[in-house]
Amino acid sequence: MPTRYAFSIDLDRCIGCQACVISCQAGNELKDDETYIHVGEQIRGSGKTLWGSFDHHRCFHCADAPCVAACPTGTLSKWNGLTIVEKEKCSACGYCTDACPFKVPHIVDNHVSKCVACLDQVKEGQAPWCARTCPSQAIHFGERETILAEARAKVAALKARHPNAQIYGETQLGGLGLLMILLDKPEVYGLPLDPKAPETMKVWQSVVQPASSGLSVLAAGAMGLMFVFARRQHGKERAEHERAAKQKAALQTAQPKATETHHD
Amino acid sequence: MTSVTLAPTAPETAAGPETHLVRRYVPAQQVIHWIGVISFFLLLLTGVALLFPPLSFLAKGGTSGVIHRIGAIAFILLPALYLLRMPRKALELVRESFTYGREELAWFKHMPGYFLGSTRNLPPQGRLNAGQKLHHAATFLMFNTVTLSGLIMWFGKGQLGPEGLSAVVIVHDISMLGLSVAMIGHVYFTFLYGALSGMVTGKVSEDAPNGT
Repeated sequence: MPTRYAFSIDLDRCIGCQACVISCQAGNELKDDETYIHVGEQIRGSGKTLWGSFDHHRCFHCADAPCVAACPTGTLSKWNGLTIVEKEKCSACGYCTDACPFKVPHIVDNHVSKCVACLDQVKEGQAPWCARTCPSQAIHFGERETILAEARAKVAALKARHPNAQIYGETQLGGLGLLMILLDKPEVYGLPLDPKAPETMKVWQSVVQPASSGLSVLAAGAMGLMFVFARRQHGKERAEHERAAKQKAALQTAQPKATETHHD
Repeated sequence: MTSVTLAPTAPETAAGPETHLVRRYVPAQQVIHWIGVISFFLLLLTGVALLFPPLSFLAKGGTSGVIHRIGAIAFILLPALYLLRMPRKALELVRESFTYGREELAWFKHMPGYFLGSTRNLPPQGRLNAGQKLHHAATFLMFNTVTLSGLIMWFGKGQLGPEGLSAVVIVHDISMLGLSVAMIGHVYFTFLYGALSGMVTGKVSEDAPNGT
């Protein structure tokens, strides 16, 4: 059975230093204005009720990834639980930007821009840049089962201080490949409670798309075959029509002659 | 019926006495038609690259997407061009395409035979036969749905969400499937009844079956 990898981000440990953002940009050789990770902050209340937490907006590596389903060129695909990117295949159609329930992918310089899970590093047995760089060890990477067990233990420990602490991504969309340890309910972080690919997307992918190409090819094939028969039929009819016209013309020219002969 | 396009021309000296040619299309109509052909096939090929996985390599790098938009601009401007250049003919074409009477119903009864190359016993028709009317009417409707869904995809990219995107793509795909089948039928009848020269020269034989 192939390994199923996952990330975890512990928002209790995150200090918002942006080191993950910078190492991701440098490691993946991104341009200055391109980034796969956005670290923001959530603040509410004031005085004694002041509450704050950093949040991360980045690819969740969904098991049933709608972006992969929508991608018409195979640029986005799944590999051992991660949603990987083959940029050279991208047509910049932008379907993924709309398909993602988390609004993660973007089109930058005519290709999709989202976390590529540092595939080269992972294949070499290394953790992705963000996990290796995080100075507060808020980002972990490894086999999903191990990562999930760690996350559960962490949440259990957090409950005393943060009663609403929970793991986000355990079950959503077939189980996310990025487990977020939240200090409060998902809605506080603007995360959808039940992200999913809509039914219309399945209809598009499994019915409309194959039917469109199949039926057009079928129509062209059927008309091609019919053409051979119909052309022959039409040829026959035209020949008959021409024969009849000639006979008529011959009759018309013959009749006056006959009259002339009669007169002679 | 107020027929406006079937203006007979001076007798053709080159053609024999049996093949009287009459002008059916003015040059502007021919130009508009062939712009339509080019833009339609550009759109079809660059679109199929996103629909049919084995052809997805054609879409690499995004050039096909740019060509698709250029084709789309030409395709969308076509009716506007037709309407501006020949408002009466354009409106007449739309009006006629949605007008069906007894003659059209009688023609539809002979449609299977017409499909198979037989024009025998076809009831007399106006400038457009009932099949052409149906073709034009369907094309008119699907032109609108394919254009509208295409514009939504173009200008709404990133704001549609999963539901919006899939709904719009479904409309776009089905409209294009319909237009493609209509196009295949159009090409089929053009070659079956030898009508290509009509749109190339603008002239048709006086006694030609009302073909495409």
